[in-house]
Amino acid sequence: MPNIAVFIEQSGGTAKKVAWQMTAEARRLVDRTGGEVWAVILGDAAAAVDAGRHGAHRVFVAEGDAFARYNSETWTRALASFVASRHPDLLLVGATAMGKDFAPRLAARLDAACVSDCVGLAFDGGFSLRRPIFAGKCYTETAIDAPVAVVGVRPNAFPLLVDGDAGQGRDATTESFDPGLDGFVPHAAIVETRTSAEKKIELTEAEVIVSGGRGLKEAANYRLIEELAAAMGAAAGASRAIVDAGWVPHSHQVGQTGKTVSPKLYVAVGISGAIQHLAGMSSSKCIVAINKDPNAPIFKAADYGIAADLFEVVPALRAAIQALD
Amino acid sequence: MKIAVCVKQVPDSETRIALAAPGPVLDRSGFTRVLNPYDAYAVEEAVRIKERLGADCEITAVTIGPDRAVETLKKDCLAVGCDRAIRVNEPALENAEPLQTAKVLAAVLRRGGYDLILTGKQAIDDDSAQVGPMLAELLDCAQATVVTKLELDEGTFTATCEIEGGAAIVQGTLPAVVTCQKGLNEPRLPSLPNIMKAGLKPQETLTCADLGLEIPAARSRVTTYTPPPPRAACRMVAADDPAAAARELARLLRDEAKVI
Repeated sequence: MPNIAVFIEQSGGTAKKVAWQMTAEARRLVDRTGGEVWAVILGDAAAAVDAGRHGAHRVFVAEGDAFARYNSETWTRALASFVASRHPDLLLVGATAMGKDFAPRLAARLDAACVSDCVGLAFDGGFSLRRPIFAGKCYTETAIDAPVAVVGVRPNAFPLLVDGDAGQGRDATTESFDPGLDGFVPHAAIVETRTSAEKKIELTEAEVIVSGGRGLKEAANYRLIEELAAAMGAAAGASRAIVDAGWVPHSHQVGQTGKTVSPKLYVAVGISGAIQHLAGMSSSKCIVAINKDPNAPIFKAADYGIAADLFEVVPALRAAIQALD
Repeated sequence: MKIAVCVKQVPDSETRIALAAPGPVLDRSGFTRVLNPYDAYAVEEAVRIKERLGADCEITAVTIGPDRAVETLKKDCLAVGCDRAIRVNEPALENAEPLQTAKVLAAVLRRGGYDLILTGKQAIDDDSAQVGPMLAELLDCAQATVVTKLELDEGTFTATCEIEGGAAIVQGTLPAVVTCQKGLNEPRLPSLPNIMKAGLKPQETLTCADLGLEIPAARSRVTTYTPPPPRAACRMVAADDPAAAARELARLLRDEAKVI
């Protein structure tokens, strides 16, 4: 009977959505196999009150000044102490900037299996983890041959529990654990965090993404993408071509050398559909392509397409979406 | 200053994966192989540091790979300014998991006493993004990941790391492992004369036995490779009237796909 620990990433006591997506999926699994879901919190314990509602049986908290600001080495030590004392079979960690930073380091410390960016979790005597490779051109199933595995989970891969789901709506017991940090001084630390001036939705966490490509013709026209994204509550993405051309920063790039995304809805505007772009977005649940060229490869990856001039369609689509509400 | 750059030869980003049905192996023959694009930023950063520091700096490129990886070391590392190269040639490590790779690289790096270890933020084949932080743990040193700016001072570093919606500034002591992101620099291309001369630079080929290391055991194993889930054919919305097409698309997304 597997026990699955879930690292609850939080800021100011509010958990990241991916944390509760993981507790939900872990709960769905252990409700079939037996075992428990353990939410693990470092620092502010406020998120603990929500853990039961999101599927956790138990919450483990380590509090202390050491957790005031994220640190790769501190998080590694504290979670290694947790694993060493409680022996979960899996530790799930969201594939966020923080999770990707410490999860491999933790796996090395534990000499554990480590599987990144998983989108599927199955158990049949042993765990099998599904994940994309080559940015989604292919998927793998990975079996675990170690007592514990540190598993990265892609945001939006799993749904939250909803009212009425088994395992939802009960309280979880909370206990504290010793993070084993006495006298520990890390080799490095975050000294400052800078947030972009504009409050933008992060691509890898967005439920809807609107991306623009070469079809926009010039940098100034990227505002069409930003305006449509704003109307849809979406994040704004970009093809490699317009990032390389300097129209938008690399943090917007979707594709094999940019971000790999799986939103509910991906709208590709003026993007022809190079293989390396398709790799980064083809796991989106619904894909819309707007492109003048009806033969563009993007239409082969899309669910809905409009083969017309984006300069006419995009403003009309923005108006049509605003009219829906 | 001694800098190590850990690099990997990978199939290029235009590679198509032809996989008709799920199976236990992936046919990797016939791929065009290149330096992992993120490792190119690591190589370039090392060379720029050397250009600033002058002769008092040595760059070692390190890889694990079969004979074909020699080309990557020569053309993409030595020919653009790395001073020497070390390749671990160990057929048992073909398609190794990241922790196996990290353990072998750590054994190589321990021999050199490096101040700075640079590598890409991830390799674009298995996309694991694990080796950098694993190296930092195995070498018990500082790490900074997904770095877009790196400054060095006497025994210390300051790195700008890309995070959701902004950046984190990490400061620490050397030695450190730094994983490199696009935006850090603009990698240069090797010149033909430098490619010719690259073959004269010292290159060492090792096995795990040479490192006094047993081949590390894998902790996980890929059982099945599967093609991506198939997609239904694209439903084209009549586009004679763009405004009407846009309205119809909005309706379909709300009522049929239920995504808005």
